[in-house]
Amino acid sequence: METIIIDGLSFALPIMIIAVGGIYSERSGITNLALEGLLGFGAFSGGLFVALMSGYFAPASPTLIWLSFLIAMIGGAIYSMLHALLCIKFQANQVISGVVINILSVAITGFLTSQINTSVFGKPSDKFVLSVFQRITIPGLSKIPVIGAVFKDFYPFEVLIIVLIIICWYILYCTPFGMHLRACGDNPQAVDTAGINVNKVRFIAVLFSGALSGIGGMCFAYSISTNFSPAVYMGAGYLAISALIFGNWKIMPTFLACLIFGFARSGAYQVVKYMKLSSSFSDLAMTIPYILTLLLLVFFSKNNRAPRALGEIYDKGKR
Amino acid sequence: MSESYIIEMRNITKRFPGIVANSDVTIRIKKGEIFAILGENGAGKSTLMSMLFGMIEPDSGEIFVRGNKVAITSPNEAVKLDIGMVHQHFKLIENYTVTENIILGIEPIKRLLGVFPVVDTKTTSKKILELSKKYGLEVDPSSKIENLKVYARQRVEILKMLYREAEILIFDEPTAVLTPQEIEYLLDIIRKLQEGGKTIILITHKLEEIKKVADRCAILNRGKLISVLDVASTSTNQMANLMVGRELSLEINKPEAHFGKTVLEVNNLTIRNSERFKVVNDVSFKVREGEIFAIAGVSGNGQVEVADAIAGLSEHVKGEIKFLGENISGIKVRKRNEKGISYIPEDRQQVGLILDFSLAENLVLKKYFKQPFCNGALIDRREFSSYAKRLIEEYDIRVAGGENALTRSMSGGNQQKAIIAREIDIDGSLMIFVQPTRGLDVGAIMSIREKIIEERNKGKAILLISLELDEVLSCADTIGVMYNGEMQKIAPAHEMTEGEVGEYMMGVKKNEKK
Amino acid sequence: MKKSKNPLIRILGNKKWQFITIPVFAFLCSIIAITLIILLIGKNPGVAFHSLLQGSGILPKPKYAAHKGIITDFLEMLDMLTPMIFAALAVAVAFRAGLFNIGVSGQMLAAGFLTTITIGYSSLNAGLAKPLCLIMGAAVGALAGCLIGFLKYKFNINEVVSSIMLNYIFQYIISYFINTRYVDPVSRQSRDVSATARLTLQNVSAGDYKMKLPICIIIAVFAAVFVWFFFKKTRQGYEFHAVGRNVTASKYAGIKVGKTIVLAMTFSGALAGLSGVTYYMGYFSSIQPNTLASTGFDSIAVSLLGNSHPIGILASSFLITVLSKGSTYMSSTAGVRYEVASLIIGMILLFSACGAYIRNTVDRYTKEKGAENGNNNN
Repeated sequence: METIIIDGLSFALPIMIIAVGGIYSERSGITNLALEGLLGFGAFSGGLFVALMSGYFAPASPTLIWLSFLIAMIGGAIYSMLHALLCIKFQANQVISGVVINILSVAITGFLTSQINTSVFGKPSDKFVLSVFQRITIPGLSKIPVIGAVFKDFYPFEVLIIVLIIICWYILYCTPFGMHLRACGDNPQAVDTAGINVNKVRFIAVLFSGALSGIGGMCFAYSISTNFSPAVYMGAGYLAISALIFGNWKIMPTFLACLIFGFARSGAYQVVKYMKLSSSFSDLAMTIPYILTLLLLVFFSKNNRAPRALGEIYDKGKR
Repeated sequence: MSESYIIEMRNITKRFPGIVANSDVTIRIKKGEIFAILGENGAGKSTLMSMLFGMIEPDSGEIFVRGNKVAITSPNEAVKLDIGMVHQHFKLIENYTVTENIILGIEPIKRLLGVFPVVDTKTTSKKILELSKKYGLEVDPSSKIENLKVYARQRVEILKMLYREAEILIFDEPTAVLTPQEIEYLLDIIRKLQEGGKTIILITHKLEEIKKVADRCAILNRGKLISVLDVASTSTNQMANLMVGRELSLEINKPEAHFGKTVLEVNNLTIRNSERFKVVNDVSFKVREGEIFAIAGVSGNGQVEVADAIAGLSEHVKGEIKFLGENISGIKVRKRNEKGISYIPEDRQQVGLILDFSLAENLVLKKYFKQPFCNGALIDRREFSSYAKRLIEEYDIRVAGGENALTRSMSGGNQQKAIIAREIDIDGSLMIFVQPTRGLDVGAIMSIREKIIEERNKGKAILLISLELDEVLSCADTIGVMYNGEMQKIAPAHEMTEGEVGEYMMGVKKNEKK
Repeated sequence: MKKSKNPLIRILGNKKWQFITIPVFAFLCSIIAITLIILLIGKNPGVAFHSLLQGSGILPKPKYAAHKGIITDFLEMLDMLTPMIFAALAVAVAFRAGLFNIGVSGQMLAAGFLTTITIGYSSLNAGLAKPLCLIMGAAVGALAGCLIGFLKYKFNINEVVSSIMLNYIFQYIISYFINTRYVDPVSRQSRDVSATARLTLQNVSAGDYKMKLPICIIIAVFAAVFVWFFFKKTRQGYEFHAVGRNVTASKYAGIKVGKTIVLAMTFSGALAGLSGVTYYMGYFSSIQPNTLASTGFDSIAVSLLGNSHPIGILASSFLITVLSKGSTYMSSTAGVRYEVASLIIGMILLFSACGAYIRNTVDRYTKEKGAENGNNNN
């Protein structure tokens, strides 16, 4: 039971932070299929930073680890500008742009990783090795039955994510900027006449999605393989998109969707382990979260409604 | 000299691809007056005011506000100069509350725990209530826009300007969507605003309103300024002739009606929307051959839902719809088309047409599956073309590029002509028109109304749903008035006056059922 | 409208040819960008591009191994091209009806797997097995697509989400079955399909050459022509287009939108299924567990690059396949990493995505010119 919660959270939270990025972008009216590419590029930036800097820090230095998150965030944000430029300035079809960003991201990071490993570090490799991110346990709280597992053996980045989600929720629903952002996804013409620059708001929203996806990508780089390699493109971005559509483009229901997914996933693993089934059964068990999601969608999709202006190119001249 | 005018627009010229929207227009507006801008649709009124409000910039010409030359490059600039505007299509966020809409862009901030900025809606709500009391603009600050009626939305727009402490208020066709009584009320508000020291610019094509409130009036025709008149000393006829640029007869030649057998009979129709809310409640009426049955009502009182239900486009419909004696409630849209029900929908761009299709593809939208357009699984595009050519010719649809032109590239009037051509050519026995002339210029309006009457003279049953009261009054043989999803009154057109219809529309006067 | 003096604007401004001039322009831009990148890493771009084309059998290599020649390289490229055409057509068909089939790879896998275990491992003779493979593949793909369409129609489940979920579900379930029942202990993949069922003929001798013969490429080209015909000339094609452009108006016109959605996904799935069998039982002969074919995702981009037009797709699939096929040879001869090929593809896509912007800019430019001239005449 404990393991279900521990593993579930460490999988669900990174997905969640990526999904929050997606919510920002889509609530502002920009369809974002690019999350997968954004998280990959973010993780690449963080990984590259660690590879370049590891000589200057002690092994497994927490400072370096946290800095790598910062860099991943910046990297993701910078790369997301491409999506923002394509969608806003170049008026590209937003779905197309998203797909292009993803493909380009795999290409660029794959190319650069090998190229930099060969020419800078002199060893041909397609990955940047990261240090192990130690899990921590809070002594007192972790003793509480069942709930205590939440405070046991968690990655410190999970705390970061929770804090970020709260901040993002606050920005989106309480501040003027959040109000403008949500309005842009509903009626950009109205926002424009209120004297707010629609394209600027959308641009920033996309930057948010890049930054948050970058963090999510970095989490996976640490938690799955402790290195950056093309393996980080394992579909987390698409899962995040599913989660946010499932959550009807709202932060809290999306959070719930991520949790259900994460727990279903770790739960299924544990069942296989508990029943001492052969490891090939874990493949079967892995389908459970996806099947569960589909089933839940069957019941909860009827009233789903995307933001009204989602995917619309905003053209000031159009009346 | 300039100081006495609060606004001067000098020698303004604005071109759009293909047309000159404003050509060398000069107007001067005094502080505290109600200044009307009169002209047909497409005369360039809205363009001129959009430039004053900074939505678009003039190609040449100068704008002075309070004697100072200004460059208004965005609505933001306009607001800084205390200019506000109520647009014809309201600029509101549907899923936001009244307060949130009003403060959008200038949100007052309070500090949570002394640090975190939070949008403060509470204190603003109070301020909004005060403002609305002062000018008679009652509206609940906490209700969401999507739940508000049209007139209330308009009030929100006015409050938005007042909240920004605008001194110069531009109203773009504010009465187009209101009932006569609501119009009266709005004109009162406008007078109150004037008393409060505001300068008001009123864009309209309705002469009576100008006569009632305006001090002076500028007349535009095809982008050119024709004249600026003192309203008190000018007759409406003079204004009308100047506006159109020719002698205009607004009378439609309508021969006496000859009713035949009943074509459409609606009994106890009740419709719920997707949220299971009753939008039409127990409505019954009949339309006969050779009759124009017009449903009057303010937007959003269930008229469109009635039309959709007859055409087969609604879910959750209860009651009986009989067409030529047969109950058609259960059958599909296409079957109904085939039986001879034509439907000209309210939203011609989103519903009536597929804008990314060519004109020909749109003209066959209800016939493509039949001979000669379709043989088995295959369609014959040459047949599409020749059919389209015929309709273009017959109905005088003007389009550059002929039947292969993209429908998106056509003007609104010609888009509507294309729909009407398609629907008339179905040649059934019932035609449903919803808002057939909305947003069109006077010429197009007259020709469409004539078409409607022509079809009625041929013996078709016509169901006309319109928000424009003059359209209902000038076309209808029988008038039904809907309010709040209920049919308030059905009577022969000649038995009802404009005032009476208006009262039923407001729900003020209520008829005993049947 | 007076002709602009700038020849570039004049060429691009020609409305009639924009559908071809603008993609070509975007392609040239990306070639320039890539040239710069290759220069930046200190290699010769000319050599790189040349070897790229050599590797995919477009240009002759300096020397060949025994029984090999430019024709064998070219046929191998066609072998890779076949599933790509089918997959891109699948995306285009769904797109025509306004649907985004991101699940092509899942549908490919399902079709490839079920066909492999039923017909691929059977002892049917070639004349029976090969057509049956195609039919079975199309049928399985169609079913998978139909399910996605049905979920959308009946339960309003966004097709992007259900496709993604199904991708994973197929991937894991099939991986389970391969690992437990059909695994080849050496390769850790599924056992090879029988030669009679293999859709690409192996080791066909002609003259001195021993080559692979991807016979299904003919069917793929035929499929593209059929899809074009379907879009243009059939009633169902017209309805797909109507629903794709405006659902409300389609309902108003009496088109059964739900049925159209299900049909479109079924058709799209069938094409994805064909892609699956030509991929897993033609280009390859076995299935690697726990992996989705990247073809399925690349096909989205290929389809968009071809402007979702069947004939455009033939061209764009060809282009992309040439680039990826030649990349291995390029990295060995020109010393440019093979990842550069995917970078080129990414760049081409990037510039193509800006096609609308290029068109608008050119249009605006020609229009302004036109307006000025028009007014001078007044």
